[in-house]
Amino acid sequence: MFTKVLIANRGEIAVRILRACRELGLQTVAVYSEPDRQALHVRYADQAYCIGPGASRDSYLRMDKILEVARKSGAQAIHPGYGFLAERADFAQACLDEGLAFIGPKPSAIAAMGDKIVARETVRKAGVPVVPGTEGEGGLNDDELLAIAPQIGFPLLVKATAGGGGKGMREVRSLEEMPALLRAARREAEAAFGDGNVYLEKLIEGARHIEIQVLADSFGNTIHLGERECSIQRRHQKLLEESPSPFVAGDDDLRRKMGQVAVRAAEAVGYVNAGTIEFLVDADKHFYFLEMNTRLQVEHPITELVTGVDIVHEQIRIARGRQLRWKQEDIQMRGWAIEARVNAEDPYNNFVPSTGKLNHILMPSGPGVRVDTGVFSGFEITPYYDSLIAKLIVWGETRAEAILRLRRALEEYRIMGVRTNIPFHQKLLDSHRFMAGQYDTRFVEERFSPQYSADRREEGEIAAILATLVAHSENLQASNIVRRGIRDTSNWKWLSRWERVHR
Amino acid sequence: MKYITTIDNQEYTVEILDDGVVTVNGKTYQVNFESIDGQPLYSLLVNGASYESMVYATEEAWEVLLRGYLYKATVEDEREKRLRVAAGGSQAQNAHFHLKAPMPGLVVAVPVSEGQEVKSGDVLVILESMKMQNELKSPQDGIVKRVRVQAGQSVERNQVMLSVHAPEA
Repeated sequence: MFTKVLIANRGEIAVRILRACRELGLQTVAVYSEPDRQALHVRYADQAYCIGPGASRDSYLRMDKILEVARKSGAQAIHPGYGFLAERADFAQACLDEGLAFIGPKPSAIAAMGDKIVARETVRKAGVPVVPGTEGEGGLNDDELLAIAPQIGFPLLVKATAGGGGKGMREVRSLEEMPALLRAARREAEAAFGDGNVYLEKLIEGARHIEIQVLADSFGNTIHLGERECSIQRRHQKLLEESPSPFVAGDDDLRRKMGQVAVRAAEAVGYVNAGTIEFLVDADKHFYFLEMNTRLQVEHPITELVTGVDIVHEQIRIARGRQLRWKQEDIQMRGWAIEARVNAEDPYNNFVPSTGKLNHILMPSGPGVRVDTGVFSGFEITPYYDSLIAKLIVWGETRAEAILRLRRALEEYRIMGVRTNIPFHQKLLDSHRFMAGQYDTRFVEERFSPQYSADRREEGEIAAILATLVAHSENLQASNIVRRGIRDTSNWKWLSRWERVHR
Repeated sequence: MKYITTIDNQEYTVEILDDGVVTVNGKTYQVNFESIDGQPLYSLLVNGASYESMVYATEEAWEVLLRGYLYKATVEDEREKRLRVAAGGSQAQNAHFHLKAPMPGLVVAVPVSEGQEVKSGDVLVILESMKMQNELKSPQDGIVKRVRVQAGQSVERNQVMLSVHAPEA
């Protein structure tokens, strides 16, 4: 059984895993890139090794260097976190070949779920519903697509095989309008990707993105830990998650069904360790398999807060060959948890990433508040990695209590030096649709924009006082420099003061 | 000292008196105002009510982030306002806009070319940073001038990538 774990990651998730290892009495080994020398995961680990320059491909994606550190440090296990090498079957295999425990699923399960077509086929055979469509049937011609379309049903989407970003995508509402839309989609796909191939997929209207956390040990026990609601997204990036889902809460039958299906999907690939099955759920509560994430998720803490299960502890126990400590009937969801992802990006400027040194941080705390972060005052946000600064997670007895607590915590949070999306979250929590739990995956992009001021006139006067006082004090400073004669102390004394101020 | 502070076309006449007293449109307030930790972070007490706010200086305005809302304020003293009104100008309508990289990154695409007419909101440059592609848009109508970057090029923060000149009147 292993006693020393190498964490092949950085940022908040590396810190999260380090903490779990510490709590379980395991030794930890960190790897870091040059700009991450002062990062929290380096400072918290028992051992730390540099694996290259800032760019991920030269450091955190270098399997060879990470395995070399494992050898050098005597680590016996590797936790990949999320992102980077977490869903690379070849990395999981390379770890096993080195005699290292991989804290995650078997390489075969990663590979099976990593290939969308294989994944769809595998889970479909196990009786798991998938979004009806022709993806994976190769490039069909227009006549073939027109013949299949009525079987899929309208409305449907024409999507570019090489696609992304909505290019070459068309919404089709009837067979009559389909030929023209097919031509347009192919033309657009050809222009954008040099590949005019398209496929059809049923359009799930008002779709929600709801996922189920599963845990499986190596003795064939698989359980689920309920759902997470992840529909608050922008450009497919999740921004805020909650558990339970307001859409599923109160419908134990739906939760049980989704849970059973998720467990079946995991069992279909012989899944071991923690994983997540993502579903699209339509307004009539039909749900469809989207994909399986064969790793720890960013948003795992909300499940921890409502179930009381420490998922990272469990991952490590499972990898050490222990049996699950829970049966399905032991898992109860209690209360409500919400996670807000605090990103270094400017919500008033098209969510452009913001980089720079963090000059001042005041973290929210108090009852029911958890902050998972890898940064501190003085740390520099570089352009090399994703913009996640911290996850602010709250728990309340009820959804309303959780929302009020998250509002309180967001207002407490101060991060100086970069722009953050905290105001986005504050506005979101004020929106009536969010409060009512009535939102789908298109909500943020289509119905919600964090506009400038205006809508809070009553505080305009306070804002005016603030702006004026700041402008006034800066004017005074500027004029002090110009008007030499009227300083109250000697020039030399004054100069040193001035330097202190302007360092 | 008397200032005219404008937020969303609403004018506030703010007079700063010596002893922690401010008047806004003639109403008097006791204020206590401190900067925290040398940061653009300010604690303000107004007649006992406590506020905390970030106030950033940008080229056009002061940005006041207060309780999750962003207010863009221009602050002028009486003399500045007189001069501006005399010059017939409304508030600064920049004739030339210089697109600066908001962060270091890699230019993915420049979908415009020199001499091209663009509208406010058109994408000028797509810049990749922090694993995200960001569309940088034109804040005004105009003509693209001096394209200084091309796809594949790395840029530093604040590097000017291209300019948009106001159309000739």
